[in-house]
Amino acid sequence: MPDKPMPDMPMPDKPPAGKPKAATRARPADRVFKFLSTSAAVSIMVILAGVALFLLVRALPAITAGWSTNPELKSGVTGGFASFWAYVSPLAFGTVWASVIALLMATPVAIGIALFISHYSPRRMANFLGYIIDLLAAVPSVVYGLWGILVMRPFLLPMQEWLNAYLGWIPLFSGKVTSTGSSILTGAVVLAVMVLPIITAISREIFLQTPKLHEEAALALGATRWEMIQLSVFPYARSGVVSAVLLGLGRALGETMAVAMIISPAIIASFRIITEGENPQTIASNIALNFPIATGMQRDALIGTGLVLFVISLAVNMLARLIVNVKPRKKPPKKKVPTGDGGRSPAEAAVGAAMVAAVGAGADRDRTSEGGLL
Amino acid sequence: MAPALWGRSAIPWKGQNLVKAFRFGQAAAVLTAGALALTACGGNSSVAGTSSADASGSATAAADYSTLSGTVTAGGSSAQANAQAAWSAGFKAQAAKVTINYDKSQGSGGGVTNFISGSYDFAGSDAYLSADQATKAQAVCGTGGAVNLPVYLDGVAIVFNLKGVDKLQLSAGTLAKIFTQQITSWDDAAIKADNPGATLPSTAITTVTRSDGSGTTQNFSNYLHQVAPDVWTAPASNKWPVAGSSAQQGGSGVVNTVKAGDGTIGYADHSAIGDLPAAAIKAGDKYVSFSQDGVTKAITTAVTPAKSTVAGDLGQDIDYTKLTSGDAYPIPLISYDILCTQFKDAAQAKLATAYIDYIVSDQGQKIAAKNAGSAPLPIELADKIRATLKTVS
Repeated sequence: MPDKPMPDMPMPDKPPAGKPKAATRARPADRVFKFLSTSAAVSIMVILAGVALFLLVRALPAITAGWSTNPELKSGVTGGFASFWAYVSPLAFGTVWASVIALLMATPVAIGIALFISHYSPRRMANFLGYIIDLLAAVPSVVYGLWGILVMRPFLLPMQEWLNAYLGWIPLFSGKVTSTGSSILTGAVVLAVMVLPIITAISREIFLQTPKLHEEAALALGATRWEMIQLSVFPYARSGVVSAVLLGLGRALGETMAVAMIISPAIIASFRIITEGENPQTIASNIALNFPIATGMQRDALIGTGLVLFVISLAVNMLARLIVNVKPRKKPPKKKVPTGDGGRSPAEAAVGAAMVAAVGAGADRDRTSEGGLL
Repeated sequence: MAPALWGRSAIPWKGQNLVKAFRFGQAAAVLTAGALALTACGGNSSVAGTSSADASGSATAAADYSTLSGTVTAGGSSAQANAQAAWSAGFKAQAAKVTINYDKSQGSGGGVTNFISGSYDFAGSDAYLSADQATKAQAVCGTGGAVNLPVYLDGVAIVFNLKGVDKLQLSAGTLAKIFTQQITSWDDAAIKADNPGATLPSTAITTVTRSDGSGTTQNFSNYLHQVAPDVWTAPASNKWPVAGSSAQQGGSGVVNTVKAGDGTIGYADHSAIGDLPAAAIKAGDKYVSFSQDGVTKAITTAVTPAKSTVAGDLGQDIDYTKLTSGDAYPIPLISYDILCTQFKDAAQAKLATAYIDYIVSDQGQKIAAKNAGSAPLPIELADKIRATLKTVS
């Protein structure tokens, strides 16, 4: 949809002065529709609040209980921890750690794919590739888990042994190397594949929205295609890509099945990524693995860890939103630099000028990306 | 306890209580229903027809259930799942108007929780009710409380995969040392001493355990705790206490990881092990391989009734140290069905007791042995269960 949004943009805005009359003459159908959409919006708030309340109410007894004295909490799946926080902190660490490793692998690949689709590939192939990527998102996570166990585990095993043998002095690769492949690295590779479609799809949309004027200005001034992307596409898309990555992070944080199936866990905080049975456990898969056998209070403890995951996810999503909102303020200095700095390449200066020219579209453009994303 | 391998053959490593996986699991269960019976027969062909319960209560098998109608709602232990599936199909053949809903996705914990909150007619559980749970059960069952009926017997098998070795003998001490990772290679002197004459490679040992809380882990760690207390110092727990093992999801996850590796050893519900070789475990001065009769024999010799305030309660404590006779399998496990002594609805009581009566009948136990690989109940235990069932109203 390159450039298309621009003429359409004024539509969602407040109607100009002439229109309020039409608004006051609201017909029944309008009111019904307004009621329906309002209640839909309200219901999502109610559901979210309900979930938070449920988590809080169920978790409180376990959070406040004495973990070393409570007969249920000191045995079985929650046994061996001094308090709720001692139980949940390694889990929270493992959740974030597994997701971060996955993102480190997925982000460059995802951006590469998105760029290829938006700026390099022939149109027909781009459509096909986009379709394939979207299909990746539709694969159930059980299937990813099976794929991880049956294919990725044996496939990555030699690499992990090599890493341990030759790079074992790096803390990341130290420890007793896995012999079955059920390491956090294998899990993270599968997680990376799972978040790939999210990051790719969003980045692709944003890359495609780069104003044609910017790109053509860069090309007209003799920039190569790569320079054009650097100068016009990346600055334009930065905030969108960051929020795409954070949305991918949100997906990775909550992923349960694949992680539960692949990683051989322990409730510890460890940075080693190729060990067996010493991999930090994630909150979601810990709940999945232990909920069936857990008894009353133990279930409350597991729900408490769910509350922590809820808070982490909320924080990540708020951060994503914050980044999208803050970014526009960072742009003005960018515009000033090329005009004021003669040492820059002519292409960049031109793009700067083009951006100044397009400044009116700036506000709208950010609103679109934000609205589409979050 | 372990979910049986073939019960989930389309998605073998799946957990029990995952919302996402749940619907998928239901569909897969339907799809694999045919394959289920086939695999089960294959896995147990060597022990078919050796049932010791042949002589028990043929009269009860002929009981007439055809006049009953209604729905029994139950759930819990996933170890019982395959047996429950076989039982409800068998019961349906005799009582066409009765529907049995057994929800295995709950696990033992969920089964007991739902039972105590009054939503189940009976719960399947790998452990009998704790004193605390028994008190809570009085809220829904009345002061009579609830009874634990040991309806499903099986054994924990020690499976291994080691190139060039298809027979393995292990004493309890060696087993404890392997699983606490004090023994790390297959040519260790302790393993050699258990296997005189065998050639053992120097392959490193990888212990494979459960990553999810499990009744199988509870039984196995209880066994190690009792028979090798000097090596295994952790108390019995449904969560594997030793770090550094390869922890896998579900009994089938353990079995598949053992199968995929070399030098691997793990523990699983016997019905889940498929064609993997299982070690013979030393009891007394003999090494005993798993057999259904061996488990039945073990239950006959090693159980003592657990303390209970409820008359007719059949919760059992297993004293593994008593299993020294050489014909009893040293690591048996028991799974219970738990029901109120006093139902709120007499018709529902009739349905539930009829179903459990069918389960413990000769035919019911044979069906479970064939389809789920379980061991038949000792005759006297089955008689006790029947006696208790008569008091349920």
